[in-house]
Amino acid sequence: MDRQQEFVLRTIEERDIRFVRLWFTDVLGMLKSVAVAPAELEEAFAEGIGFDGSSIEGLARVFEADMLVLPDASTFQVLPWRDETPGTARMFADIRLPDGSASLADPRYVLQRALAKAADKGLTFYTHPEIEFYLFESKLRPDGQPVPVDNAGFFDHVPRGTGHDFRRAAISLLESMGISVEFSHHEGGPGQNEIDLRYADALSTADNIMTFRAVVKEVALAQGYFASFMPKPLQGQPGSGMHTHVSLFEGDRNAFHAAGSPYQLSETGRQFIAGILRHAAEITAVTNQWVNSYKRLWGGAEAPAHVCWGHNNRSAMVRVPMYKPTKGQSTRVEIRSLDSSANPYLAYAVLLAAGMKGIDEGYQLPPEAEDDVWSLTDRERRAMGIDPLPASLDHAIHLMEGSDLVAETLGEHVFEFFLRNKKAEWAAYRDQVTHFELDQYLYRL
Amino acid sequence: MSAQRWQHWRGTLVRVGVSDAPRAFHLLDELEDWAGSEERSLITQLSEAADPDRALLGLVRLREVLSVKEREEVSALLADPQSGRRDRLIRLLGASSALADHLVLHHDQWRDVAAATIRSREELVAALAGEVGDETGPQAYDALRVAYRRQLVQIATVDLMNDAVEVFPQVSGALADLAGAALEAALGIAQREVEGSEQCRLTIIGMGKCGGHELNYISDVDVIFVAEPADGADEDEALAIGARVATAAMHACTDPTTEGSLWQVDAALRPEGKNGPLVRTVASHRAYYERWAKTWEFQALLKARPVAGDVELGATYLDCVRPMVWEASKREKFVEDVQAMRRRVEDNVPPDEAPRQLKLGHGGLRDIEFSVQLLQLVHGRTDESIRDRGTLAAIESLSRGGYIGRVDAHELDGAYRVLRVLEHRIQMSRMRRTHLMPTSSAELRRLGRAMGHRSAPADAVVTQWREQAREVRRLHERLFYRPLLSAVARLSDDDARMSLESAQDRLQALGFRDPRGAIRHIEALTTGVSRRASIQRTLMPVMLQWFAHEADPDLGLLAFRRISDALGSTHWYLKMLRDEGSAAETLAKVLASSRYVGEMLERTPSAVSLFGSTKNLEPLSREQILTAMQAAVDRQSDDDDEAVLAVRSNRRTELIRIAIADLAGVLVLEQVEDAIVDLTSATLQAILDIAIRHVEREHGRALQTRIAIIGMGRLGGGEMGYASDADVLFVHDPLDDADIEVAKTQAGQVVSYLRTRLSGSGPGPAIEVDAGLRPEGKAGPIARTLDSYAAYYARWSEGWEAQALLRATPVAGDPDLGAAFIELINPLRWPADGISEAALRQIRTLKARMEAERIPRGGDVRSHFKLGRGGLSDVEWTVQLCQLQHAGETAELRRTGTISTLQVMTEHDLLTSEEALQLRESWCLASRLRNASVLWRGRPVDALPSSLTDSDAIARILGWPAASGYELHEHYLRVARKARAVTEMRFYGTDLSEMRDSHPSTR
Repeated sequence: MDRQQEFVLRTIEERDIRFVRLWFTDVLGMLKSVAVAPAELEEAFAEGIGFDGSSIEGLARVFEADMLVLPDASTFQVLPWRDETPGTARMFADIRLPDGSASLADPRYVLQRALAKAADKGLTFYTHPEIEFYLFESKLRPDGQPVPVDNAGFFDHVPRGTGHDFRRAAISLLESMGISVEFSHHEGGPGQNEIDLRYADALSTADNIMTFRAVVKEVALAQGYFASFMPKPLQGQPGSGMHTHVSLFEGDRNAFHAAGSPYQLSETGRQFIAGILRHAAEITAVTNQWVNSYKRLWGGAEAPAHVCWGHNNRSAMVRVPMYKPTKGQSTRVEIRSLDSSANPYLAYAVLLAAGMKGIDEGYQLPPEAEDDVWSLTDRERRAMGIDPLPASLDHAIHLMEGSDLVAETLGEHVFEFFLRNKKAEWAAYRDQVTHFELDQYLYRL
Repeated sequence: MSAQRWQHWRGTLVRVGVSDAPRAFHLLDELEDWAGSEERSLITQLSEAADPDRALLGLVRLREVLSVKEREEVSALLADPQSGRRDRLIRLLGASSALADHLVLHHDQWRDVAAATIRSREELVAALAGEVGDETGPQAYDALRVAYRRQLVQIATVDLMNDAVEVFPQVSGALADLAGAALEAALGIAQREVEGSEQCRLTIIGMGKCGGHELNYISDVDVIFVAEPADGADEDEALAIGARVATAAMHACTDPTTEGSLWQVDAALRPEGKNGPLVRTVASHRAYYERWAKTWEFQALLKARPVAGDVELGATYLDCVRPMVWEASKREKFVEDVQAMRRRVEDNVPPDEAPRQLKLGHGGLRDIEFSVQLLQLVHGRTDESIRDRGTLAAIESLSRGGYIGRVDAHELDGAYRVLRVLEHRIQMSRMRRTHLMPTSSAELRRLGRAMGHRSAPADAVVTQWREQAREVRRLHERLFYRPLLSAVARLSDDDARMSLESAQDRLQALGFRDPRGAIRHIEALTTGVSRRASIQRTLMPVMLQWFAHEADPDLGLLAFRRISDALGSTHWYLKMLRDEGSAAETLAKVLASSRYVGEMLERTPSAVSLFGSTKNLEPLSREQILTAMQAAVDRQSDDDDEAVLAVRSNRRTELIRIAIADLAGVLVLEQVEDAIVDLTSATLQAILDIAIRHVEREHGRALQTRIAIIGMGRLGGGEMGYASDADVLFVHDPLDDADIEVAKTQAGQVVSYLRTRLSGSGPGPAIEVDAGLRPEGKAGPIARTLDSYAAYYARWSEGWEAQALLRATPVAGDPDLGAAFIELINPLRWPADGISEAALRQIRTLKARMEAERIPRGGDVRSHFKLGRGGLSDVEWTVQLCQLQHAGETAELRRTGTISTLQVMTEHDLLTSEEALQLRESWCLASRLRNASVLWRGRPVDALPSSLTDSDAIARILGWPAASGYELHEHYLRVARKARAVTEMRFYGTDLSEMRDSHPSTR
């Protein structure tokens, strides 16, 4: 690490960097930034930079003392989009207490803790997200609706090519920041795009997702659009999910892989899925954290509102993708409930905890769902033992409130703050008189 | 073999220490001429061997592989009593089966054993280099190993032929030199193997014991590689080559060949540890240590010594890093780092090995070495004379400089040598890297004989080891604390004195926040010629150590000084400190962890006598306390206010007793609660008696009414803490012929006298007598007649009002009246048919309102012990609601305590045992936290502290390890959250599980 820090200082000198942004994430997944001058950086590595945590969502002070941000030199990147000299760079930072111990209110630490727990059992958690988002014209319609940049469909080559140029620009920026991009294409909705990040350990992935969102928004602005990761921006069009492929590795060995078993899925893999399913409802408030998330989740088609798994079943919440015979290491599980606006640190932490619980307790995997779950009746689903995910943020909060798993994974502090914040969001939402109501009732009643 | 001869030698064989005499007898036969013309000569020599059986077997095996001529030479050697060399082979073969194997394999080396001598470093380097020659690859590796062992057997022989404790420095030094010579030879091999190696100058720095010139027979050899490009070479290329050479050199030592391997070469102490480049330039080392190094890395650098390679480069490196070592103590986090490092050293023993460990754990070798290095780091900055690399040399220098007492240094030196020799002998036996005392009796016997014990060797060596362990057990006291006194007082004329500045550095490194103040207190306590000063001089070092282990060492020292000033030369005090063993320790711990006790003790120093015996820490029963209080009251028959003071003094002493026992871990929560309840009710009774006496005196006539005090809340429930108010009801009952008005007046006066005397300032903490639960609350009369209570309670209609009465218990005053009152309320609080739906709603609403209103402004709803989420009141209301509903039908529920009722509730399926567990855990934890907070802060505390220091100190009182303040917080919140979930369900009737959505379209 220390060589890394040396490298950072040297690079700053060589590339004439005038500002370094220390990035961290609040409990809701919003990127926060403290700018420091290069001269302060050396001290920042050694001692951290003090700041008043009470001004940041969820960091409200547990103890009456300032917090420190401690930059993680391995995450150093020059920010390429501010194409100017002198330049700006960024590093992710951990939040620490004055005595140097990790802050329990730091989402990055929540994930680090969950990863460490798995590491104690010799397991590493890898994730690979497919991030969907919409591109809109910078001007809204007079009625406040956003205007998509095109009207193409899935995998279309769009003649006007806005999205194409955009994706090319975004990808080249991401690559220049050391974030590998696996795949990119046009998604189902007008103006909707998807970019996949390459497989990496969950902490790097979460850092990358935070960077990704910032990059995409920057590039869109530069091209005169804006990008939104809102889970369901357009009624009647697909929402923006963040399907994530996950796997556990034991050293160099994929712990999900067992040659010859159904779908080449090992017992560990089956137990992991069983854990995700059993705890799916109580972790939904974290994986789908906004009022709007539930409009995507219950939007039908490919949105997974039911707790079940299947092989290549795009209506299932957990999908075991087609196995490639040549790639034993590629056995993985796709979790489809997550949306693009989740706090990736917390979301990956609870998913891992749920899966690990399945392994620790040896949960049995329920039978596979082979039908399109949406086409079944409520009674059929109940008979098959397929439960629904919560249909509203309100319900998700209720379920989370009773969850030891979530409390222990997030830590009491983040748990409490998260619940309080989400209850407030729900209350504010409920206070609204919506267009729907006015349309339906104003004249009729 | 004749039976006669056998009979003849059998006894002798056993006497010289042979275990298997028949086998030895056969072996002797095989030795033929070696056994000597007089067989006696060889047999008596066998007694010199640690393991005579092994020695004999070794001789036989050696003889088999020798030529006829060599056999004759050995025979001559064994027979020659003058040479002083005759038992060399026997000792070596008897001490080490591994070296015996080696000798059999390389039988020419018997001559080296016979001529064994310790060589200088240069001689060793030349010897090894000569044998390896210009070879590379496997041949070179083999030659290196053979040459290395040729020297090793000689060092071992010298070790075995002398007083091992005496020659330990030479032996361990020679082992370090031999390791250096092996590294030198390995480096030579590597340089021949790697192309272009001349472009890089390379030096190997010995670290750890190798650098300290005090190596073991077998252990990892710690090194750091330093490289510089040769003149004109490119730096990057040279460093790449250097790394290859270093790797090859390590392989030359560690790779197993047919000749085995030497030892592991460990380069993990280099900058950045295993992740860093294997070789670095001097400048790169400097940059690292200036910028990034941690405190422990400087401690490691203390030992750095060039052992092989480019001499000039080694010197440059040392000139560069040595000065930095001594600046380490100026670093910002030095004190914290050092304390954390010390904790790690002390805690770092696997439990199953603890009783056998020579190296790790308290008083182990690592502890001695670490402590000595720590003192060097603390004081070496200003004093160049103590910058030695080796442990023994450092001990001597520290002693000369006054940083350790002379006698202590001498004993420490001896103990260290003995422990190291034990370690050497254990390792030598099989050339295995181990630091554990053996367990089997055969191994212990061999070890004992190797240490020179001949009678009962197994027991003797264990005893010897235990004695040394005892010697170093008080190591920290003697190394760290005792010398502090020399800064302020002349201890003995022999010793050099420590300077005041050094003493302050030292105190700070030990965790005192105000070293100047601490020096003043130490000085005041220990100077002078009085008996007290002399006893305290003896005691002070260990007291300082005890203080330093607690949350607030400065507080402890200050309180100790005040108490000592107050008690002066009181003879029992001095005697107790000197003789009572654990008394002084408990005193020190209590003073440095509890303001509550410290403040009370400063006002009643005589109560320090409680520490004198563990018997004193058993809380007294209510009767015992009351008897003592009443006797004190009787002695003040004329002066009521004096009598009150006497009772309150008595109460203070009892509180101190309870608190000390609590802090000493003698009492569990329930016992603390019982003790405080007994003390409170005895105090109420004693003061009530005085109040009655007072009012009778004022009126000049006897009291016209009987009075009883009913305990409510925690007092009635028998679950008080240090800061609990005494919740009560006063009931009185005019005598048959009394004037009702007079009776009423008198009762009011008695109660008023009692309350003012208990709540006002006086000896010990006041008791707030709170009668707020009486009918009509503050608006109602403070004492009512039994009839009036009856009339009032008769107006109740809904059933929920009786909740407050659930914990009512008579605690003082007229017992019959108390019983009558309880008789009156029993049907109310335990209604036969439970309570109505309306009453249930009322209670729930009341509680919900309380939750909304009663948390103090700005307080956190979670961290408040009583009213917070999942706190005491959540648990108590849950229990009490259940009692109102079910105590009518279930007689076992008719009780006043919270915890015991929980148990009954599970027995009657009113609560699952899981739920009961969660409620109990939260209630007990909140109660313990509340008590611990009072002990630490010295005043009532309602919520989790907002300062990390406080939280840490409170956690320690609860028995958590140091620095767990944050975890304690998190733990309480978790426990309380779970309890709240039970309250939600059982008290409020909320059921989370019934609230699942279904699909909107098919709903």
